This record gives sequence, structure tokens and C-alpha cells, in this order.
Amino acid sequence: MSRRLRVLVHSTCLTLFLAPVAFAQTRPAAGPTDLASGQRIFDAQCAWCHGNGGDGGTGPNLHGKLRHATTLASIVDIITKGIPGTEMPSFRLTERETKQAATYVLSLTRSSLKAGPGNAERGAALYQSSGCGSCHVVEGQGGILGPELTDIGGRRGGVYLREAIVKPAASHPPGFLVVRAVPTSGAEVRGVRVNEDVFWITIRDASGAVHTLQKSDLSRVDREIEGTLMPSYESRLSAPQLDDLVAYLATLRGAK
Amino acid sequence: MIRSAKAFALLIAAATLSAVPLLAQDGQWLMYSGSYSSHRFSPLTQITASNVSKLRPVWVYQPPGTGSVESTPVVVNGVMYVTSGPTMVAALDLRSGKPLWEWTRPIAPSVLNLGFPRVNRGVAVLDNMVYVGTLDGYLFALDARAGIERWSVHVGENTVGHSITAAPLVVGDKVVVGISGGEAGIRGFLDAYDTKTGKQAWRFYTVPSPGEPGSEGWPGDSWVHGGGATWLTGSYDPALKLLYWGTGNPGPDWNGDSRKGDNLYTSSLVAIDIDTGKPRWHFQFTPHDVHDWDANQIPVLVDTQVGGQARQLVVTANRNGFYYALDRKTGEFVFGTPYAKQTWAKGLDDHGRPIEIPGMEPSEKGTLVYPSLQGSTNWASPSYSPATDMLYVPVREMGSVYYKTGVEYKPGTYYTGGSEKRLDEESWGAVRALDVKTGKQAWDFKLPTPTWAGVMATAGGLVFSGSNEGNFFALDAKSGKPLWQFQTGGPIRSGPMSYAVGDKQFVAVAGGHALFVFGLDQP
Repeated sequence: MSRRLRVLVHSTCLTLFLAPVAFAQTRPAAGPTDLASGQRIFDAQCAWCHGNGGDGGTGPNLHGKLRHATTLASIVDIITKGIPGTEMPSFRLTERETKQAATYVLSLTRSSLKAGPGNAERGAALYQSSGCGSCHVVEGQGGILGPELTDIGGRRGGVYLREAIVKPAASHPPGFLVVRAVPTSGAEVRGVRVNEDVFWITIRDASGAVHTLQKSDLSRVDREIEGTLMPSYESRLSAPQLDDLVAYLATLRGAK
Repeated sequence: MIRSAKAFALLIAAATLSAVPLLAQDGQWLMYSGSYSSHRFSPLTQITASNVSKLRPVWVYQPPGTGSVESTPVVVNGVMYVTSGPTMVAALDLRSGKPLWEWTRPIAPSVLNLGFPRVNRGVAVLDNMVYVGTLDGYLFALDARAGIERWSVHVGENTVGHSITAAPLVVGDKVVVGISGGEAGIRGFLDAYDTKTGKQAWRFYTVPSPGEPGSEGWPGDSWVHGGGATWLTGSYDPALKLLYWGTGNPGPDWNGDSRKGDNLYTSSLVAIDIDTGKPRWHFQFTPHDVHDWDANQIPVLVDTQVGGQARQLVVTANRNGFYYALDRKTGEFVFGTPYAKQTWAKGLDDHGRPIEIPGMEPSEKGTLVYPSLQGSTNWASPSYSPATDMLYVPVREMGSVYYKTGVEYKPGTYYTGGSEKRLDEESWGAVRALDVKTGKQAWDFKLPTPTWAGVMATAGGLVFSGSNEGNFFALDAKSGKPLWQFQTGGPIRSGPMSYAVGDKQFVAVAGGHALFVFGLDQP
């Protein structure tokens, strides 16, 4: 999947006010046709975020017990309404399609969580020794330059996490757009865009310093769609070490 | 030109006595788009390129509740009328900014707004009456002096998706009001009511029933839920006695399988006889639309020269990415040209019909198309300056992946047959100046994100607009150079306007949940 396609965000502007879908108390059991149709819908509309087969991507891995949905009705409700305060949007499918997609998701949740090959305990030690905490917060501890990771295992799948460590430029956490501002005189400023309007831009550079610049004083502002302040750990960690680190991150499911 | 206080008082008296709303005139802003020709152009000249840097906030009005303010205020007879969401009207004193009255329509959480936010975009005023549509589908006439209800009519049934967010338009003894609900499978219409009694004068259905002209483009009973909402205010030519009203997408939005045909009069501009409510001509921008490219954008009536010939035009920058100039008497296609990135049509043929590129329809796996379903422009108003002969368009540069799904009609639910994923990260916005005679870009003022802010040009040589990031700004009308800005602290999803009190010019715009009024420090 291309970098660009992965950063797509689903429109919520027209879909925030969906009426709940009422379900009868009794309904026929889902058959194999529903599962197959549900998988087809999932592959087209859900796999963008949740990964092929629901293995996780920018959205959570759907295998095993889910935080928000445990029954067919609750999954239907989430597909129909989205989850406010998260990146999960609502979808306008027919009642039948919604039920089919939910049936497929329910089947995923009933298959066991695919354990990665790594060892989470060793991964936790690597997290400390590799300096990840200088830029990321886990349960209140760490630096602020990168995104907080306290519940990253609940929000992102293993494939995504691995890629984010190996090729950080390929992942793009929301709110961490890297920009380069070149003043008409003076040194350029490169860092994470904290805020921007038509006339001003605020940037946090790699040292953590915050610069608020007036655009009329700049000769250019480049949005680095593929930019990141995070170094690649591809050559710093061995393949088994990467597995361990990913296994650790997958255990981060929110503050205990 | 600013008149003296005495002249202004006389003007107010004249407006009070008149049974017909006057065209835009200095001192007042009489209707949603400023005038019947919808130029959204202020003839006031006190604020100019040389003094706009001294523009300062004068007062701020915060309506009750937490609704977003997407309204363009009107100023009539020395009072400002502004609305807020879901349905609230305030009459404000121009000097103090304090309410003379506030009127709120109780809107239950169960009231449907399928496909749009819970907002209201403005009122119409005539004599001592203020007309406002409600989210639950009614039209109210309020006493302009006290906000007391004089009459109300039930325009459309909300439980099947009808709703009103647009400002009505008063023409003579009629108040004309459009309806929302194009995502809910309504059959769109435009209504006119007697200004004094609320008695219905006529209804024009935007989707013909079997046997009527255009019905051949609606197989079976697809017309019953054919869409074609009229959810934004139109324009009017008093000489031709023609209303110009844009219509919305056909239903279902993204799955056109059940409605193979052109689907008139959806995604069209319709010229309607004000006396009879009958269409005199129509022009369809996007036949058999499957991208939700409503044509509700405000039509702008312009008299100009095209190819050396004097033309009476209606021009519009359409949601589908093309700019169109039509003869406003006959509906003849004069010319059209793309004004923003679009990937769905090779161009327009001699009659203005799009030459479509195959394979751009929504699909199960998704089809990437520019513009996004919100279009190259949307409901935010453009402005036309007779001084520069330019149309200033709020532009949205964004693509979407369009999905097609199955669809079934269930009353009071979405009837769309698909969805979209927007290319948010690569998107941007602009205030774009087009030469009205050619549609060619004269200048472009870029914005960080696709805009929802309307535009107002002034005789002072300025163009005012805003941004999602909260900036309210003034540009040089000839060059697009930024001259002044103020951070309102909330996204601007409204249209700026201008008025005068005595010899002083003011500019107003809503940002976030509040209305801001600006004036010069020392004129």
C-alpha cells in the first residue's frame, strides 16, 4: 500500500450524525455467505486502517478481545456511528452490508490474537537502552518530541509498529507533520508543526525549542509529507531485537 | 461613499416605506448575498487598501448555546439580524452590539440533519418581518421589532430528512425558501409563500414526476427519492422576473444504478418564473451525478462584455471544478472552463455538457477523483466586483477516493450508496480571483486547508475572507496581496458583510461561536 494511501483520513464531516440502526432481538445466524461478503467489504473499506485480515495497521489489530466491541450488535453500532474521540469514522453501508462486515469482524475477534515472534520483556529493556524514552512518553515517563506511546499497542498493529521503527518516514502520526521554514534572512527552522494559520506558523525543532514565525518573514515553507525527526533503527537493531521491541509496544494498551 | 447621518436616516425611512427590498445600497446589507444579483459586494469606500491596517474589533456577539455561527448577518433599518445553530435569531443594536431580542426554536436531539451540520445560515427581512427556516423543517415569520412569531408553515417533514438551513429570499410579496435533505432520499422542491399570511404561492419540484418534462431520465420510481435539494439561497433578476436557484445531487449520491439517465433537474441551475413557480430554462452542470457535486453554489448575475459583446450573464464556479457563464435570459451556454484541479472530465462540449473520462465513477474498491465530494467550492459564497470585473471564489483543492456500496431506502436514514476517503494531507485552499469574462485565474491567495469561508469584495478595493484556522483577512482586490488580518480564534464558516452607521463603515464576520464586528480606529 502506498505511503499516500495509508495517510488517508476518512471523511467524518457528513457522517457524524447517523441514526442508530435498530436490530431485531431475533435474527438468523450468520452463514458462510455473510462471512464472505463481509470480508469483501472489509478488504475494500476497513483494511486501509485495520490491515489485511484485520492484522492491524494505522488502526488496531482486530484479533482477540476488542476494547470497544464484543458483540455483533456493538460492532454494528461502531461501524454505523464510529467511535467519537478516535480515528474510527462512521460508515454508510446498507443494514445488510453493515451486518455482513460486523459478522466478519466478529469472526476475527474470536480468533486468537496472533502473537508476534518477539519477546516483550526483552523489548522493554531495549526500549530503555535504545533511548526511545527521550522522545516518547509511556505512562507519564519520557520526552515530548514524538507521539505518546502509552496505548500504542491498542491503536496500531504490529506491521505498522515495525515499519515505524525501521522506516519512520513511512509512518505519519497525526499532528506530527514535519515542516521546513526558510526565513528571508537567518537560519532555517525544521521541526514538527505545532500550529499553523494563514499568516503564522509554530514549529518545535529537534532540540525541543519552539519557534513562532510570521510567514511574511519567510521565503518558503515546505511541508515534508515524508519527513520525520525520528531516526531509523533498521541498522541499529537486529531483526530479533526489532521483533522484541514490537512485541513490547504491542503490550502497551493504556495506563495501568 | 459614506452618506451623512441625515442622508442615512432618510435612506432608512425609504427602506421602511418600501414594500420591495431594495438592491444593495450603502449603509445596509439587505439580504443574505447582499443584493438580488448576489455580488456580495459592498459599495462602501471608507475602508481602503491604505487604511485597512487600522481595522480593529469594535464588538463581539456570542449567541446563547454552543452552536456554530455560519450566518451572514443582514442589516436593515438600523438593526442587525444574525442567526446561530441549530435555529436561533438575534436582532442586535448596531452601536452597542447588544440584543434587542433573541428568538430560539427548540430543536430536540432527535431532529434529523442527514448530511449537514446543525446550523442556520441567515434570515430574510421585509418591512417589519424577519423570515427564518428551522432545522426541523418550518418557516417562521417573526416581528422584526420584538422577535414575536406572526405565522409559521410546515415546509417539509423532518422525520424523512427535510430541514432548512438556508436563508430565505424575499421577492415582492413572496418569501422563497429552499430545503435540505439530499442525502436522505427526499424529492427536492422550492417553495414560495405569501409574506403576510404564509399561504403557499407555489411549489416547484426539482425532480419531475412521470410524464413531466425530464421524467425520461428517471427509470421506474427512482424519481420518488431523487434528491435535488435546494439548500442554499438563490438570486433574482427583477427585470426578467426570474429566480435563479441551484439544485443538489440526485439520490442515491454515489450509486446511480437505479437512476440511469440525466436525472433532471438535479445538479443544475433552474431559472424559475417568480409569479408561477414554473421553470423557464435549466442548465445541468453534472448530468447523472455520482460524486455528490451539488450545484447549490450561489449564482452570480453579471452584466459584462464577452468577446466584445455586451452579455447579461449568470456565472458560477461549480462544485465539479468548472466555471460556467450562461445567458441569464435564455440559459444558453456561453462558455465554461476548469478553475480548479479536476480529473473526471476532458472538458465541456459546445453545449456545456461535460466530456467525461471513463472509469471515474465510485467503485467497490475505491476510485480516486478530484475534486472531493465537498467539491472545488461549496456553500461558501463567492463575490463579484464590478470595479475589477473579477469573481472571487473560495476554493477547495482536494481529491477523494469514492466508494460505491449497496443502497436501500429507509425513511429518515442516509440514502447515499457509498462513502469517500479524503486526501486530507495533500489538500489546500485558496481565495481565487477569476476574470469573469474568461474564467482565467487573475491571482490566487493560498490557504493552509480547503476553505469554508465566504468572500466579500468592496468598492474600497478590498476582498475580505477567512480561513479554517480562524484568520479573518483583507486582500488587495487587484493583486490578492494580504493587507490586514485578525485571528478570531475559531474556524470561519460564514460570509463577511459590510454596513455603515452614520458616517462610519463596519465589517462583520462570524468565527467559531461568535460574531465579530470591525471598524477603523480613526477613519
